[in-house]
Amino acid sequence: MPTSRRTFAAVAVAALLMPITACGSGGDGGGSADASGKVEGEITFQTWNLRANFKDYFEDVIAAFEEKYPDTHVKWVDQPAEGYADKISADAAGGTLPDVVNVSPDLVAPLAKAGLALDLDKAAAKYEKEYLPGAWASHQVPGMEGTYAFPWYLNTGPLFYNKSLFEKAGLDPNKPPKTYGELFDQALQMAEKTDGKVATLANVPTIEDFGRYGVPLMNKEGTAFTFNDAQGVELLAKYKKLYDAKALDPQALTATPESSGKKFLTGAVAMNPGSALDLANFKKQAPSLYKNIGITDQITSTGHVNMYVMGVMVNAQTKRTPAAVAFAHFVTDSARQMSFAQRVAIFPSTAGSLDKPYFTQEDGTDETRVRVAAAKSLKSAVNYTPVLFSEQMKTALRNEVAKALQGKESPKEALDNAVNACNRLLQQQG
Amino acid sequence: MATTSTVSRVRRQLPTSPWLFAAPGLLITGAFILYPFVSTLINSFTDRRTLVPGEFVGLANFRELLHDDMFWIGLRNSTLYVLGVVPALILLPLLLALLVQKAIPGITFFRSAFYTPVVASIVVVGLIWVWLLDDRGLVNAVLETVGVGRIGFLSDQWLLLLSAMAVTVWKGLGYYMIIYLAALGNVPRELHEAAAVDGAGAIRRFVSVTVPAVRSTMVLVGALSSVAAFKVFSEVYLLAGPSGGPAGEDTTLVMLVQRTGTGLTGRVGYASAISVVVFVVTVALMLLVLRADRREES
Repeated sequence: MPTSRRTFAAVAVAALLMPITACGSGGDGGGSADASGKVEGEITFQTWNLRANFKDYFEDVIAAFEEKYPDTHVKWVDQPAEGYADKISADAAGGTLPDVVNVSPDLVAPLAKAGLALDLDKAAAKYEKEYLPGAWASHQVPGMEGTYAFPWYLNTGPLFYNKSLFEKAGLDPNKPPKTYGELFDQALQMAEKTDGKVATLANVPTIEDFGRYGVPLMNKEGTAFTFNDAQGVELLAKYKKLYDAKALDPQALTATPESSGKKFLTGAVAMNPGSALDLANFKKQAPSLYKNIGITDQITSTGHVNMYVMGVMVNAQTKRTPAAVAFAHFVTDSARQMSFAQRVAIFPSTAGSLDKPYFTQEDGTDETRVRVAAAKSLKSAVNYTPVLFSEQMKTALRNEVAKALQGKESPKEALDNAVNACNRLLQQQG
Repeated sequence: MATTSTVSRVRRQLPTSPWLFAAPGLLITGAFILYPFVSTLINSFTDRRTLVPGEFVGLANFRELLHDDMFWIGLRNSTLYVLGVVPALILLPLLLALLVQKAIPGITFFRSAFYTPVVASIVVVGLIWVWLLDDRGLVNAVLETVGVGRIGFLSDQWLLLLSAMAVTVWKGLGYYMIIYLAALGNVPRELHEAAAVDGAGAIRRFVSVTVPAVRSTMVLVGALSSVAAFKVFSEVYLLAGPSGGPAGEDTTLVMLVQRTGTGLTGRVGYASAISVVVFVVTVALMLLVLRADRREES
């Protein structure tokens, strides 16, 4: 039977508009904050670039969970590191965010504001005492009540340095810098002795560096940035001196953590921050560097080193709140975190875990030395990056810092501009 | 032979049949081109963010653009990119095509070699060029050996932009060379022979015979390469990094769209406004090239 022209037009328009209706923002609600029901049903768990190296570990964790809760089924998806935030954005906007999601604090903040992250202070308050207080607080958002993700693994790391480059520059390889003053002096000496061919640092200062230097980053209310104070200006002025003397690598203005890591591997820079993970990398990729590797503590003026926190968030729109909360807790509980830490150089965020012999006893190797030192420093470590500090803000700060280092703006002007730009972005975020 | 009833049935079906055949294409065009285009246009008049639908703000985004230094930097760089890349991509592939046009033994190898960068992944190409142009890369090692000293290809904003242009030209040569090869095949040999008899040298023959014969192809290459150059992203992103070079001074408009509009805190409305500007300039570029061509013809 022939289709009438009107019917055809209606079908065509409907088909054309289908994608439009499918692209609404966020889910339609329906999730419950009550996690007290029966743990059952199928949930999806998303990790952040972990399948390649830890497939067996996660399959074991999932199998153990499904054994404990036989009425559940966990579907595991892993996303590559590149574009992870964009993937979450697309899922969040399309209403397809998985039930349990691996996040970092800066990813949690916008999700919590959009009502997509479950408030664990309401849904899972009983678990709070199992975690280090600082780690539990790391997924709280200024201006909002609640905690929006279970803390997962922590990481921090020492400062690696190239002993042979120190020696060539007339510096004592056994006395690496311990304070910012020593760091800047030794960096200038290194540049002078090598005629600017070897820089000491490869990265421009980031928000973490300002934090470690003791600069107040935000006001107490979390409504405005404050890193343009006298101390912030002082730090930037010192970096400007390093840049002019080539003690800061000339390519630092466009460097990424990967590119600066490569520069350290090739001996173009003398110092680089890293983690216990990097030691194996040095051993494999740069054996001559590994023989000359020096390890010292992160430099900080506050007495607290910087730490990175990973979290596991529960989607507030999930239809399986009890199962999602139970699984998020299961993945991040003490036993699972300890087991994960024994496979890879990360540190558990659960209370008491860092006091276990694995994190307190050295066996004479560099690996255990770095691990024990890092575990010790983590007990008082701080995640300096404000949770509200978005990627756009990082770029704004980086660009203004670059202008100061190039001499296009004074350090004070640059930081004032950066703070204004970040405050504007903060207001736009709502 | 068709009966009367068959003819009338076909006639009855005719109005819908073409639409049914076109439906898959229309659906794909609608979903992946028309809808995103209209959506971007609508978003450009809103303050929409990634996770917040946003409200109508009129021309506020466009007014903000006028006062956004980064927008002007992006516009400057994208325009410079067109000015730097397009002439090179009109002329160099033509010369290359003339070189490999002759049917001599082994010429296929050279044609393939010149075409290889076209099929190579832009990420791989970018990484190779970063390695070559790095402060301690191969190019600087050679320059240092011959006494020139190191040049900051990847740390100076202008050299960075020039380096990215070089990558674009290098990668595009083979593609446009193939287009020119096809056009050169249609140039009558007699014209060259007649010009040679009249005493024209190689350069004269190139200017008076080859160029007029492939002029319409040159316009096509100009139009294609100018649109691609204005929308450049990958080359600059790979060489200058996500921040767009020192202090963001190498940011192009499309990089600005990506940086502003993506992520969980992306300003979709504002990024859409930049996209609309990119679209308008791109269309203007095409019209400019076509108009120049018509004027030349008349």
